[in-house]
Amino acid sequence: MKRLLSVALSAALLAGVLTGCGGGNTTGSSASAGSGASAETASGGDGTLRLAWAADIQTMDVHKTTDNYMVPLNIFDRLFEIENDENGTPQLVNSLAADYTVSEDGLTYDFTLQEGVTFSDGTPLTANDVKYTFTRMISLPESVQSSMGSMIAGAAELQAGTAQELTGITVTDETHFTITLTAPFAGFLYELATPACSIMSEANVTAAGDSFGLDPAQTIGSGPYVVTSWTRDSGMVLDLNPNYWGETPDVTHVEISVVPDASTMSMMFQSGELDILDCDYIDSAVVDSTYRTQYADQIVTGNRLATTYLALNENIEPLGDVRVRKAIQMAIDRQTILDSVYSGDGSLVDGIYPEGLIGYSADNQGWLTYDPEGAKALLAEAGYADGFAMELASDSSASASVLLVLQIIQQNLTDVGIQAEIVSYDEASWLDTRNSGEMNSFVATWTADYNDPDNFIYTFFGNADNTRSRSLNYANTEVMDRVAAAREITEESARLAEYAALEKQIVQEDAAWVPLLCRTHLFVLGDRVVSYTPHWAGYSDFSFTAVDLV
Amino acid sequence: MADPQTLNETLQSQIGEQDGAREKLLRLCRQNKLAVVSAVVILLILLMAVFAPLIAPYGEAEQDALNRLQPPSAEHWFGTDELGRDVFSRVLYGSRLSLAIGILPSIVSLAIGILAGLLAGYFGGWLDYIIMRIADVMLSIPSLLLAMVVMYTLGSSTVNLFVALSMVGWASVARVVRSQTLSIKESEYVEAARSIGVSRWTIMRRHILPNCIPSLIVLFTLNVPSAILSESSLSFLGIGAQPPAASWGLIVNQAKQFLFTQPWLCLAPCVAIMIVVLAFNFLGDGLRDVLDPYRKNQ
Amino acid sequence: MKSVLKRIVGTIPVLIGVVLLIFIMLRIIPGNAAAVLLGEHVDQATIDRLTQSMGLNDPVIVQFFKYIGNALQGDLGESYRYSRPVTEMILEAFPYTVELALLAALFAWVLGLAAGVVAAIRQNRLLDRLFMGASLMGVSMPIFMTSLLLQYFLAFRLEWFPLTMEQGSLVSMVLPAIALGWNSAGSVARMTRSSLIEVMQADYIDTARAKGLGRRAVILGHALKNSMLPVITMMALQLSSMLSGAVITESVFAIPGIGRLATTAINNRDMPVLQGTVLFTTVLVIAGNLLADLLYGVLDPRIRKEV
Repeated sequence: MKRLLSVALSAALLAGVLTGCGGGNTTGSSASAGSGASAETASGGDGTLRLAWAADIQTMDVHKTTDNYMVPLNIFDRLFEIENDENGTPQLVNSLAADYTVSEDGLTYDFTLQEGVTFSDGTPLTANDVKYTFTRMISLPESVQSSMGSMIAGAAELQAGTAQELTGITVTDETHFTITLTAPFAGFLYELATPACSIMSEANVTAAGDSFGLDPAQTIGSGPYVVTSWTRDSGMVLDLNPNYWGETPDVTHVEISVVPDASTMSMMFQSGELDILDCDYIDSAVVDSTYRTQYADQIVTGNRLATTYLALNENIEPLGDVRVRKAIQMAIDRQTILDSVYSGDGSLVDGIYPEGLIGYSADNQGWLTYDPEGAKALLAEAGYADGFAMELASDSSASASVLLVLQIIQQNLTDVGIQAEIVSYDEASWLDTRNSGEMNSFVATWTADYNDPDNFIYTFFGNADNTRSRSLNYANTEVMDRVAAAREITEESARLAEYAALEKQIVQEDAAWVPLLCRTHLFVLGDRVVSYTPHWAGYSDFSFTAVDLV
Repeated sequence: MADPQTLNETLQSQIGEQDGAREKLLRLCRQNKLAVVSAVVILLILLMAVFAPLIAPYGEAEQDALNRLQPPSAEHWFGTDELGRDVFSRVLYGSRLSLAIGILPSIVSLAIGILAGLLAGYFGGWLDYIIMRIADVMLSIPSLLLAMVVMYTLGSSTVNLFVALSMVGWASVARVVRSQTLSIKESEYVEAARSIGVSRWTIMRRHILPNCIPSLIVLFTLNVPSAILSESSLSFLGIGAQPPAASWGLIVNQAKQFLFTQPWLCLAPCVAIMIVVLAFNFLGDGLRDVLDPYRKNQ
Repeated sequence: MKSVLKRIVGTIPVLIGVVLLIFIMLRIIPGNAAAVLLGEHVDQATIDRLTQSMGLNDPVIVQFFKYIGNALQGDLGESYRYSRPVTEMILEAFPYTVELALLAALFAWVLGLAAGVVAAIRQNRLLDRLFMGASLMGVSMPIFMTSLLLQYFLAFRLEWFPLTMEQGSLVSMVLPAIALGWNSAGSVARMTRSSLIEVMQADYIDTARAKGLGRRAVILGHALKNSMLPVITMMALQLSSMLSGAVITESVFAIPGIGRLATTAINNRDMPVLQGTVLFTTVLVIAGNLLADLLYGVLDPRIRKEV
């Protein structure tokens, strides 16, 4: 496996040299794509990029989805964006926000908007659109993103319906506005850069009504692209936004097909019908045997700020016993999972934060080793020498690889005497059961929304509600209070030290979950693609400006 | 007063229902060698399924991370899958679930169908009307969609799969039984039996049901392969049997992504499905030629 | 004419039964559909509000009659996920499935008929074996395997056909149609063969032979024509299994038809769409059966006289 890994690494590096696009397992890729390339567009191909989705998106309205980000990333802008610098480190860059200042106490942010920005229908962007966007995100009944604005003053009242207006945002004039927070929050600007905080046009959204997000003609933003057509379950076409305020990108026309079957998608790529193949859709063994051999120099490796974990629900006996949870941590052969299911593309994580995330602590790594004998001993000590029965839940739409991971875990558990049964839930009852805190153990992956440890630890261990809705039911309220309090620590090194200490407490002392691994994200580029910079957090969705064509 | 038991036997021999069984079997052997071969194949596969733990060189879920995706060899006749499990052993074990998926729902739908058909045919009237309209409803919904709706409602699990497939087949059984019942109900010997006070249930059991058996055997043998194929379709959609249980449909579906790189993974379970489906079809055809009263002239 | 009308009226209780059955089956699911739609970041008040507006608080019987009333006016409700009228989505998807099913029926017909005829005139010769083998393969192979193999060899390796469906291209529908039709070809072949053999034993064929007509001419001229009847009926009855098969083929070849609608509805827990799709396909099947009955009456003079 080591050999394979080095082949992968050198392949990725080679790809980097050939295409001028750096790539690697830990640094992520970087390339200054898009900018300045527009002049060459005419000399090269026709600027068309062809992609595939395994399933159609449900909506283009980012307030109503937490995973269909391709359209929001391309037809809308945010106040800030996150882009990788030359070293592959994610950096915050200004987008619609031309400038900002923060008050001493970290509570008040004054923003200046970029001059001359218009939406694709020609109406100018104003500070009122920004306020409208956040008001809608928080108060829309169907909004699934309202938590993204929860730290803005007045958000709670607005959501509860006791206030009609979002008091935390005041508009000074066309291009100036102020956001006030209820408490200082270090990750705030990063949060503004998430797809959820895409800035919408008040005039457009109110005029479109229910059609917003569903009808391409009535869903417009200020981003570089507009959706020209969307045929459900078949595909989507995007073209350049003629009124785009920024530089014209290299890709001028995008065709996305919906291809449910993975082998079909793979064949389409090999026939030259797709320009970028997202290897997340393809089994890693196929990636190994086909793409590592025939397309070795066309593979791009992206860092993925994501942690894959095995959840342990403390409300379901005997998982309430910390010794049992620790035994399960030791019983799982994570290296085999990484090597056999993911062909070694990634690394093991021993905590909560993935490598590359702000707050990632090297000190908290390396303590967890595969030790079935030790696990048995711990189980015996806890009074479960003969094991017990438990459930491993799977989502019916889970990828084949997650099912394989579950089967390996099941085998590992059997080896220490725990009888685990894999039970499949359909997507909806999966969500329903998990949110109610009644889901048994399951394998899931959390990908960063914004580059801050808070995004990970607060989501799972921030308060009783959060930990219940993840079906962890973590019981240590004292630690959860500290997680919530850590948001307000303004001194950066103290804040990160606290996050590292909390990570250690939660995973090593309380064994709240089994940290599994962090996968890299592989893409294969077609002949027409010169360079491609994967999303900084490793999303499958990305901005088309990250692509340079022949 | 005549003893009902004796009368029944006399009546039975009069319509010649029992004397033909052995002769029919012989005729089947003479006329349709394919059907005989199919029967033998089915028997062999049944034996394989029963004795799978004795035959299989490896366990059903025995993983070997170091030997993943191996091509066929002396140790692994059909190679190994992505977790290093022996495909030959998995196909052997898979025959248990797959045959069960083929046979059990067919038996259940046979039972439901017989009951519904007898009730409808014998009692007639509104009961007949309601039962047969329900049967019409079930027959009208495309079988895979019906199974999908059941799985949607009950959730995907191996047990629910049995429920879903059992619901699909009973309506055609009910139709056959009903029409047989109708044609026999008014016959003289049933009248005679009734007149001497034989109970309704006894009449149904002793006189009507035996007449349905030939058609039911045919229906049964044709139901089995369609259930096996439906299961593979449901597996394809991700709502069939759930891993790590091994059914042929599930094994093929897991292997299908390697169809073009490690084709041997698909081959064994796929061929197994084809053999069983064909064998049951041939047997069903052969049995129909021999047993079906409407086709005797062929 | 009267009998036709009677037959049509006879389907009404079945239709009502279908709606009732699907309705009941889809309503006994535990869990609140509104909560599922809203996902994780909402409070109970929001869920209650949406539950109310979706009409999920009404008694099931009220919901049922509302649904029937609306369905009669062509309104099958609104998709939970896409917030679009289900009828609109079905009508959008329907043409693809019709095209697919018609082409598939054509293929099944041609292969099945050829295999059946060859089998009847050249029993147990090589050509017979080949044709029968081909049609049996279609019956016995899981339909997704047929689809994947066709796609791999004919589209990917040989590049004779596009890999997936392309808008407005009939050629791109050929492979999915073959995959789907192959499944029915076996049944058509067996039916053709047995009815041909049956017809050929009839007296008038003997008469034709006696008049000096060649064996082949007899088969093609007389016997085939007269054995068509059961085959045509069976084709209409195959509609149901074709719609089942379309669920799979549409997935492999990325066709946005009715089958895909049902599959995505299941994955999205989009009950109104699933309900509408199943109802719609069932109505199609019922119409198909009705058509088969009527055709039978038109084509077979004996039956026409009887009724």
